[in-house]
Amino acid sequence: MASLETIMFVPALACCVLAMAGYLLSLLVKKVSLARVSTWILAASFVFLSLYLLLAAVHSTGWNHFGSRHFLSIYAWAIAGIYLGSQFKSKTRLLGSFIVPFILLLLIAAAGYGSDKNLVPPQWQSWLTKLHLLLAIAGEALFVLASAAGAMFIIQNNLLKHKKPGKMGRLLPSLGELDRINHLGLLWGFPLLTVGMIAGAVYAAFVWGGRWPADPKVIWSFTIWAAYGFLLHQRLAIGWKGSRIALLSCVAFLLFLSSALVIRFCFATVHNFI
Amino acid sequence: MKKNMIAVVGLNYKTAPIDVLEKLSAGCGREGNFPAGLKAIPGVHEILHLSTCNRVELVASADDDSRPVDMLKSVLALNGALTDHEASCLYAYRDEDAIRHLFRVASSLDSLVMGETQILGQVKDAYRRALAENAIGIVLNRLMHRAFRTAKRVRTETGIAANPVSVSFAAVELAKKIFGSLAGKKILIIGAGEMAELTCMHLIGNGAEEITVANRSTAQAEMLAEKYHGRAVGLGALDEALCDADIVISSTGATSYVVTQDMVRGCLRKRKNRLLFLVDIAMPRDIDPAADSLENVYLYNIDHLQDIVDENMKNRRRESLKAEQIVHEEVAQYFNWLKELEAVPTIVSLRIKAEGIVRMEIAKESGWMEGLESADREKVEALVNGIVNKILHAPVTVMKEESAEFQSQDIVAAARQLFRLDD
Repeated sequence: MASLETIMFVPALACCVLAMAGYLLSLLVKKVSLARVSTWILAASFVFLSLYLLLAAVHSTGWNHFGSRHFLSIYAWAIAGIYLGSQFKSKTRLLGSFIVPFILLLLIAAAGYGSDKNLVPPQWQSWLTKLHLLLAIAGEALFVLASAAGAMFIIQNNLLKHKKPGKMGRLLPSLGELDRINHLGLLWGFPLLTVGMIAGAVYAAFVWGGRWPADPKVIWSFTIWAAYGFLLHQRLAIGWKGSRIALLSCVAFLLFLSSALVIRFCFATVHNFI
Repeated sequence: MKKNMIAVVGLNYKTAPIDVLEKLSAGCGREGNFPAGLKAIPGVHEILHLSTCNRVELVASADDDSRPVDMLKSVLALNGALTDHEASCLYAYRDEDAIRHLFRVASSLDSLVMGETQILGQVKDAYRRALAENAIGIVLNRLMHRAFRTAKRVRTETGIAANPVSVSFAAVELAKKIFGSLAGKKILIIGAGEMAELTCMHLIGNGAEEITVANRSTAQAEMLAEKYHGRAVGLGALDEALCDADIVISSTGATSYVVTQDMVRGCLRKRKNRLLFLVDIAMPRDIDPAADSLENVYLYNIDHLQDIVDENMKNRRRESLKAEQIVHEEVAQYFNWLKELEAVPTIVSLRIKAEGIVRMEIAKESGWMEGLESADREKVEALVNGIVNKILHAPVTVMKEESAEFQSQDIVAAARQLFRLDD
């Protein structure tokens, strides 16, 4: 890793750790003001991460020198960016406490990877693969946001249903806002993921011919895509709202998470970026 | 010299039964007039009249003896035509106790609902009325501004006014936790009760828009609906209104459920599972508790709301300890200033006396001084004035400094005696 990139990555990671601590503390002492500050710290982390990725992009030619660290960082960057973007439109600062752990884990994993070795073979480099990667990551990041909002909805829903809102209920965002974020996450995430997958499929059809569907990552991705598609359909067409969608979003997300981990550690796949 | 004191005389919901209070207060919601004749009470220099639903009080700066206090009491008793027994409800505080009492009142620590925010506005109104009557001078002016400052500190530095302690506000708070923003939310009121109306008013204040009133008697429903630019329906159209609403407040006198679980369930699909907040403030209950088990339906009855209010009240009491500390600090600061003020008239009369002596002595010697050049004459006068000022400097400084301390009265009295200022 070039030294200037390290100079950007380290403060990004440090700010993320700080934001995480801030969010945890705000849950602990039940003060929204702490979450507000943490969101700003996360924004700082996002800026450093953007600079880091920008430098990396300038240094690399095509996909050369673009390794696991960069892919994981892009994931983290996309999730952070989408969460911060959502904060312009809603006052759900506490939601960060459910999202920052993912960003932090991705950044820690990124820091752990020493190698910058090229993961995308030169013969696969094309604008279609880039589109495929970026859109798939953006779609998944939106699902992270939707599911985090869903998880928080379930907690707030329980507090309100049991007639004991108390300090915690006052701290957490309102059901309406959480449901709206879940809605927007699904609404935008699904088409992005769809286009991303089509881009990948088109490219694979050209390059690999008939061999690609056997890749475990592809099969799982299709399953997850179908699950989110089902959720969005129920939401838009059937009119499911609130707790049921929130719960299903969480289930779909767990499925997504476990599949990603299982594939990463148990299967050989062409999608071996991380 | 006569010393001044600050006195508070009056009665409140703690010391007097409601019928006695009513005799004195102008009536809730109405601004009390500044009673005539208050300014003419002998020995009273500045006065302010505070009248709310829960208290009637006179705050005065007066001569420091018992007569003004007795006078103030009898004025109040006369004003409300109180019997001797009723007049025994009147309390009187002096000096530090009076200042503390006023600061606690303004900070809502002495209120029936601790932490309510209305009282500060009422105190400010009382102050404005007294200003308009020219009944306020330097002492009460400063006192009232200190009281406002104390109230503001209490509000911002403690959580005493943080969470709602009335059932209707608790319902609004819950609505916000369910819907986020209340803008554009539709309210259905079942039964045109007072409590439902109050809750409805708060909801509108927070942005809720469309109001529908359903009542057995449509005439009454129409009256309420008209007031909030809503529409009135009979109980027959309840099903349809229920499907349309986001927030339902029910307070009928019905003995059986007005809204059943099946009615709510039937609506869920029609309303596309939008969140529904049901508030049942009726006794016996109007809404079948089983409705709460439905998805995206949140049913709160009066007991649930009362529990929340009780919990918040407990928090307020905890926060009031912090507030008392703030009051304590502010009282100490004001009292120091007041004591400093006591020394001022003495210092002024000391200066006047000294200047008089200088003028007299110079006049006595005018015979030979007329022979001097005017420049020399000025030098002599400057010398004399310089000596006098030097001599006075020490006692004046000591009086100013010591007056902030507790024994100031002794020092001031001693100075008056030493320089024979009272002769």
